[in-house]
Amino acid sequence: MKRIAVITTIYRYLSHAQHFADRFLVGYPKEGRWHRPDMKVVSLYVDQKPESEQSEDRAREFGFTVYPTIAEALRCGGDKIAVDAVLSIGEHGVYPQNELSQVLYPRYEFFKECVKVFEEDGRAVPIFNDKHLSYNFEKAKEMVDDGHRLGFGVLSGSSLPVTWRLPDVDIPYDHELEGAVMVGVGGSDPMDYHALEAMQCMIERRKGGETGVAAVQLIDGDEVWEAGKDGRWSMELLEAALSRSDTPSGLTNEDGRTQNLIGTGELYKLVDNPAAYLIEFNDGFKATLLMLNGAVGDYCFAAKLRDHPVPISTQFFLTPTPNVTYSACLIAKIEELYETGIAPYPAERTLLVSGTLESCLKSRHQGHVRLETPHLNVEYRAPKDSQHARR
Amino acid sequence: MDNRPKIAAITTIYHKYAHTQHIVDRFLEGYGWNSRHHYPPMDLVSLYVEQVKDNDISKDRLERFPTMKGYPTIAEALTLGGEELAVDGVLLIGEHGEYPSNDKGQRLYPRYEHFMEMVEVFQKSGRSVPVFLDKHLSWNWDWAQEMYDISQSMGFAFMAGSSLPVTWRTPSIDMPLGTSVSEGVCVGYGGVDSYDFHALETLQCMVERREGGESGVKWLQAYRGESFWTAHHEKLWSRELFESALSRSHTLTPSRPGFNNPFPTLDEMREIVKDPIAYQYEHNDGLKSTMILMNGLVQDFNFAAYIGSNQDILSTQMYLPMPPARTTLANFFSPLVNNIEKMFLSGEATYPVERTLLTTGLVAAGVDSLFDDEAKIDTPHLDIAYQATEDSTFWRT
Repeated sequence: MKRIAVITTIYRYLSHAQHFADRFLVGYPKEGRWHRPDMKVVSLYVDQKPESEQSEDRAREFGFTVYPTIAEALRCGGDKIAVDAVLSIGEHGVYPQNELSQVLYPRYEFFKECVKVFEEDGRAVPIFNDKHLSYNFEKAKEMVDDGHRLGFGVLSGSSLPVTWRLPDVDIPYDHELEGAVMVGVGGSDPMDYHALEAMQCMIERRKGGETGVAAVQLIDGDEVWEAGKDGRWSMELLEAALSRSDTPSGLTNEDGRTQNLIGTGELYKLVDNPAAYLIEFNDGFKATLLMLNGAVGDYCFAAKLRDHPVPISTQFFLTPTPNVTYSACLIAKIEELYETGIAPYPAERTLLVSGTLESCLKSRHQGHVRLETPHLNVEYRAPKDSQHARR
Repeated sequence: MDNRPKIAAITTIYHKYAHTQHIVDRFLEGYGWNSRHHYPPMDLVSLYVEQVKDNDISKDRLERFPTMKGYPTIAEALTLGGEELAVDGVLLIGEHGEYPSNDKGQRLYPRYEHFMEMVEVFQKSGRSVPVFLDKHLSWNWDWAQEMYDISQSMGFAFMAGSSLPVTWRTPSIDMPLGTSVSEGVCVGYGGVDSYDFHALETLQCMVERREGGESGVKWLQAYRGESFWTAHHEKLWSRELFESALSRSHTLTPSRPGFNNPFPTLDEMREIVKDPIAYQYEHNDGLKSTMILMNGLVQDFNFAAYIGSNQDILSTQMYLPMPPARTTLANFFSPLVNNIEKMFLSGEATYPVERTLLTTGLVAAGVDSLFDDEAKIDTPHLDIAYQATEDSTFWRT
């Protein structure tokens, strides 16, 4: 039975640590059964313990120990690494923000403490790192490089790439793409990250594979709509993405009606400060994330496939709170990492998204300028088999 | 533009979130479909609304869509005020509105009455057109049978039923056509003579695809409260299928504070579900099906069945994007309207109305069993045999 160490910022109801780690304790829905992983959480490190946190309760109930340091958690209080896998969850908790308004979660620091133990003890084990690797690309790259250098599996990222899709579609593997638009909502930087990663898990399947990002620009306000009129992003693809939304606001809230948000012009009235993340890739491909707060409340994607007259589009289905069963879809992937030692999809996806987001935020901070991003030359191939929930 | 079909909508009431609003609005305002905002290639030209209350929005719709006219009677809506049938398709939406209930608790929606008024116009005009009827045909079995028989004898395309058979599924799978099925279960929520119908349609749209097709139903027995738990304990239905269906839910009520998604023990389920209900019934070919309403425990409709020679479990959720808690649009009406459009254009129902005739009879039998102290009800009148369509008709694109 694989032994798991949980390393987290905070463990309280509906924090990522709670709904991720709990699934290893009480099981989770998988392929029409209640699946109980043949794995055991043996140790826990928690960075912050405010009132109403749950770490000691869980430890008592499920028979593991809370350790004061990450090294001790990995060694279970002994002198050698005593776990087979690490679940690192640096999300939620109170941490400072930088000038780009990124929350400085200590994911890199957590990871490096694990790596230090791996190196000192001569054994490295797989790590799942929740959400983006780090707010900083150099740190994120070092994390992925450590995985390659020491030969341990690194899986990272959001639940969006692996959750249910409405409809259940994927980009045909190695198909030529002519453009992509993602619609997201929520604040920066947590929710734009999820939306960027959802977009990336689709477009990375394009012909030739991922080539890295050449330049980014983040624009906002009316300039977003101007850019659409100028063809810098595709209005047709925005319509395609919005055709998948279940949550238009405005008149739909008033009397339940369906809305052609673009055709009636309601979209432009509803969106509260739109933002466009314009991304240019090294192979010349362009994709855009539109953050449309106020107009819709879900995450929808559309892409134009060469030789297909109708765009492909889907909604990344964020199942309701509190079950948030989309995180069960991610746990299944983490379990696969722990079981095989191999990440089911490359951490380079999350590395590229981490860096792309950071550069977009820098673009905004520097007055919405276009930034060339030679450091984001992250090349990788997506796995051919679709990885999202479909069984 | 003259060859666009003209459609009449005959409804009980038109307010926010009424079925009329969900269905008729999609014809008027269009809806998201296949990467476009799709406008049905037909014109909704007439509207009859039986009850206009303070929450009415039909007035707003008639003002904003002047090509649609309101009429004070069903006959006038169908003849556009003339002498003869003047439309090419009819929507009958008899759901919501203030109607009395009978002593069995059935809401007496006037679906049969509306249907018969429509048939009178068809007969006078010597012509009939395709008809969609929302939900079950009638609360009264004999009336439902009569409605079906009339549609057959007059030869018009007739579709009815719930959105559940046509909405998204997670996972996006169908019952393989012609596979053997030994037992089926649906775990859903809602009340008697309302959401039980949706759960029965969920079950039926899957099991009707089994080897030999649908053969009809021999008997039905309801279980409620303590007798439900006794039947559950005695495994009158498969606990494995029941748990598989629950494992498809996205809305499992947490049985313990501080946990967001634990699987409840039986004792915890008894705490959470105060009034469980099951309708169990046997089909003429021996298949056993069980519809279960677990109010308090789930807020979605989940299906599981044993299929094939290895008794593999096939399970899925029929997902309803349901406003106002989870969405703003009830988009499960989009695939329903899309199927209705196809019927209006082709003159052929996209799935058999016999499904809904059978589920109409099952709802009535369930209500009767509950009213008759959970007696086993023989249902020789439900010897309704039919074949499912080869193609899947649920929302996949």
